[in-house]
Amino acid sequence: MADKAILYDSSKCTACKGCQVACKCWNDLPSPTGKNENVFSGSYQNPPDINGITRMIITLEEHDAPEGSLKPVAWAFNRRSCKHCADAGCVRVCPSGALSHDEETGFVRLERSKCIGCQYCSSACPFDVPRYEESGPLSQRTTVEKCTGCLDRVAEGMAPACVSTCQPNALRFGDRDEMIALAHERVAYLKERGFSDACVYGETEMGGLHVISVLKYGVEKHGEVVSPKMSPTVAMQEVMKPVTAIGTGLTVAGLAAMFALGVGYKRRTLAYNPDTQDTIDVNTGEVVKHGDGQDELSVKEHILENLPLGKGGRHE
Amino acid sequence: MTSHWCDFQNTDVILHCGSNSVENHPVSSKWLEKAHEQGARWIVVDPRYTRTAEMADVYCPIRSGTDIAFYGGMYRYIIENLIEPNRAKYLAGEEVPEYNFEYLLNYTNASYLLDPEFEFDPATGLFSGFDEQNKTYSNHSWHYQVESESTWDTSESGAYAWAAGEGVPEFTPPVVEHPKRDMTLSDPMCVYQQFKAHYDRYDIETVCSICGMDEKTLELVYSTYTSTAAVGKAGMVLYALGQTQHTYGAQNTRAMCIMQLLLGNIGVAGGGVNALRGEPNVQGATDMGMMVNEHPAYLKWPNTSDRSSLRAWLESQTYSDGYYTNKPKFLVSSLKEWFGQAATVENDYGYDWWPKVPKKPDYTMISSFELMQQGVIKGYFNWGMNPAHSAPNAGNVRRSMANLDWLVVADWVETESASFWKAPDMNPADIDTTVYFLPAALIYEKPGIILNSGRWMQYRYQAVDPWDQAKPDYEICDLLWREICRLYKEEGGANPDPILNTKWDYYVDGKIDPRPVAWALNGYRTGDSDFSQGKVDLLKGYSELGADGSTACAMWIYSGFWNNNDAPLDASKQPIGRRNNEDRSGIGLYSDWAFSWPSNRRILYNRASADLAGKPWNPEKKLVEWTGDAWNQIDQADFVAAKDGAAVPPDDKAFFMLWEQGARLESYGMEDGPLPEFFEPFESPVDSNPLNGAVSSPLARFTDYASVKKGDSADYPIIATTYSVTEHWQTGGQSRSCPALVEAMPDQFVEMSVELAAEKGIANGDKVRVFNNRGSVVVPALVTKRIKPFTVHGETVHQIGMTHHYSWAGVFGTRDTVNDLTPNVGDPNTQVPEYKAFLVEVEKA
Repeated sequence: MADKAILYDSSKCTACKGCQVACKCWNDLPSPTGKNENVFSGSYQNPPDINGITRMIITLEEHDAPEGSLKPVAWAFNRRSCKHCADAGCVRVCPSGALSHDEETGFVRLERSKCIGCQYCSSACPFDVPRYEESGPLSQRTTVEKCTGCLDRVAEGMAPACVSTCQPNALRFGDRDEMIALAHERVAYLKERGFSDACVYGETEMGGLHVISVLKYGVEKHGEVVSPKMSPTVAMQEVMKPVTAIGTGLTVAGLAAMFALGVGYKRRTLAYNPDTQDTIDVNTGEVVKHGDGQDELSVKEHILENLPLGKGGRHE
Repeated sequence: MTSHWCDFQNTDVILHCGSNSVENHPVSSKWLEKAHEQGARWIVVDPRYTRTAEMADVYCPIRSGTDIAFYGGMYRYIIENLIEPNRAKYLAGEEVPEYNFEYLLNYTNASYLLDPEFEFDPATGLFSGFDEQNKTYSNHSWHYQVESESTWDTSESGAYAWAAGEGVPEFTPPVVEHPKRDMTLSDPMCVYQQFKAHYDRYDIETVCSICGMDEKTLELVYSTYTSTAAVGKAGMVLYALGQTQHTYGAQNTRAMCIMQLLLGNIGVAGGGVNALRGEPNVQGATDMGMMVNEHPAYLKWPNTSDRSSLRAWLESQTYSDGYYTNKPKFLVSSLKEWFGQAATVENDYGYDWWPKVPKKPDYTMISSFELMQQGVIKGYFNWGMNPAHSAPNAGNVRRSMANLDWLVVADWVETESASFWKAPDMNPADIDTTVYFLPAALIYEKPGIILNSGRWMQYRYQAVDPWDQAKPDYEICDLLWREICRLYKEEGGANPDPILNTKWDYYVDGKIDPRPVAWALNGYRTGDSDFSQGKVDLLKGYSELGADGSTACAMWIYSGFWNNNDAPLDASKQPIGRRNNEDRSGIGLYSDWAFSWPSNRRILYNRASADLAGKPWNPEKKLVEWTGDAWNQIDQADFVAAKDGAAVPPDDKAFFMLWEQGARLESYGMEDGPLPEFFEPFESPVDSNPLNGAVSSPLARFTDYASVKKGDSADYPIIATTYSVTEHWQTGGQSRSCPALVEAMPDQFVEMSVELAAEKGIANGDKVRVFNNRGSVVVPALVTKRIKPFTVHGETVHQIGMTHHYSWAGVFGTRDTVNDLTPNVGDPNTQVPEYKAFLVEVEKA
């Protein structure tokens, strides 16, 4: 099978956010349900960014219109989500196999049950995409969340949920080559119509993205990353990966090493103090679990208990 | 709309005025983008730069409420640049490809002579016929001069033999007046000359000064849009509540019709006057006549003056010519459905059992709450609407509801109206109203018919069972109705006949069901039908209707949508159930998909798509074509294409829903004037009107109610308007119950310019208090470059915009009620409130 891609055309997008809601619905992603728990962002862009329960949003940026425009304002829309890089830092650094390339499509597959919450992927991503959801009674289990490309739908011959709901055909799905060709056609059309900065994004970035974008006002105005680069930490993390992947004990060691190096380790960090038998949040110093004297677990087991190694769904 | 969604692709120029369709009707964007890709130009005229403006090529800001000045300026532009320079040439027989004179002269009333007393006085802003005391017009002087008269031939072989037939109620047929015309358009009393004189005042400079526009941008809009006056070109206007929710909203709509007629854009593919309806079924609700004075299918209820008896109704409502000569058939068939066998020619088919709409009191919406205040209305059925949140001056609505003895609310969540007594500004201890809540099923929880803006009727099957005890509306009605009838039968009552004689037999297997209702809407022959036995003899269409009691039909305009007698209970085997999406027309008519009323016509007035000889203006986008011996109907003809089996050759009768059969540039049918005239909104930031001596409309309704509390621009200098966002639907009963939608737009907001925010010391996201004499609300600010201050008559005027979806009811998101600010004044034709332009002051909260 040829590589697939989602084509996002910002010049056809009306920012109706149908895709954003369709993503939530198909993927069974929750929304906050407390009364007035959702806070207005001061913009049409809500929630303000992707988060642990939101894999994609439509962004809206206001600019003064480019010179020569018949209009006073340029309102640049974009689709913010995982771009499914061919050369994906996140896949390179993932120690647990939770992130991998789907051979059929080239998309970056996510298997959340394998995620150990190390958050290496976060610092490896040039687009600041991976988000994390904490779960468990102590919020002790942290797992990565990001666009999966709806591989479950694609495997059944359907387009991703966001694409299937798009009314103005701003989102398309198909063979990557074909999407790139369509994007170039559209950019030529836009240039003819006076959008001199219009461009195709994703053809070569990060080895080629599997989300190809047509950016009507150019890369920057749509809030897109100019010349994304592989994070230098990726190489370092890659060194650690073979070590961490060998076994659980070594994973702990690897995590500790990474923590010591201060690289890419962002999750709420818990440490066990053998003297007091307390579990401490390293970042806040708060005791999140008190020693009770009845404890029969070893130090190692205690650390492991506080690391997100459990399998299964996030709502356990 | 006169067109339909898929027809957007056929246009040459798109004009959005009073609509933000790509946000509020996302599906529209698909078809608009098709036109755009094929080279159509796209114009948005709106107070703020909307998502639709982002898609368009040209954006022209307009101060809220000044649309008629904008349209008037366009008329003047057309006259000055297209008609006058070419009129003599055309009359001399020269070709004028840039303007369609043939359309103007033959398909509109431009050439008709008006009554010599017809007059407009710019000093007062009044047309002839004004009654100062009652603030109403007599339209006598707005009529045409008559050339000759003729009468209906009701003899046995005559065209109107049916009118004298057995069983037809007696009435004197109307006299056919043949208006005087001047085909050179030079007589000073001809509509064109009067029209030209009227809009001579609307020069570009004046229009810009009123609308707060920039002359260069306005000229670009005018020149771009009027390019569609060329023969074979089409321009399309899309509008919504931004046009209608004004004290002159109906005149705004008229103004768009006139613009489209002047440009030859009605009846052609890619043209039309296209109202984008909010909810899928607003079209259906409108057709059903869910208003005090509107009987279903655009007929009128009895009243106490010119419709006080069946005879009076037939004589005042039946047109002398055109298709509405058939009105007696529509009305008698409606009565036959209403009262069944009890309706006979002897008792005027039960006409007097229908209530007569009184002149006073006025039971339209705004006035209803006033009547509650006065204690006239003591009980209220509030069904599928939420006025405690959505009605103008909503605080006044809540206080009025507190005067009720009882209130019934049928809805599917506890709305603000169901909980009006729990509003933050109400004290439950002071309120004695008994509130009954009837849980109603949602659209997906019941089968039934919906109509989209393009008049397509489609059948929707039930997807899931209603929640808990919720029931479809028709089932709630059935339970109520049966109980009401039982009480009348057992206990008698003041006037039992209308109730006990009403036909109510819409059951299948003993259960109320929308399918027999569909039979009633479609119409059937009464002889062989008995709903109680499941027997019905459906009509093919409304051409089979009679005025003699032989047919019954509740909605003549729908007739034909459910006409298959072989499977009367199977929606999928009826025209409404058609699912063939092959496009035989090549221009997106999709005539084999579902059913479009009337008679499956996709584009109304399609006769006007071809010239006098029946040759299409645009051969690429043909709707109908005279082939020499017959009409080739790509779309179903919206005119008499054949009679008694013989083809009817082309003539000039392009608008056969009017008796004169030519469309009206000038119309005697409006309450507030025969030509749209610019007035300021009821609450306006300026106190002068350069176009006439009346600042705001002398006919605006309800302005004298004490509850209105008109605000002055000295205290409240900022214009406010209200609108919706794509994430929410109206008062949010549905959309605020969906967490994903609340998350996507968690609040309402006040949108304001960077300049106003700076003046008031407001930062983006700050809480802002917006207030006037009627109310005060606190909402977060959205400071944007997309709204700019206007320069009006040389002064800077600020405008803000507010969304209105949140209020105190709801479990996920709540906020103050924005409609506490909107004025409870309305349009004299429709009584629609003025939500779109009023005055406020803002400050940092």
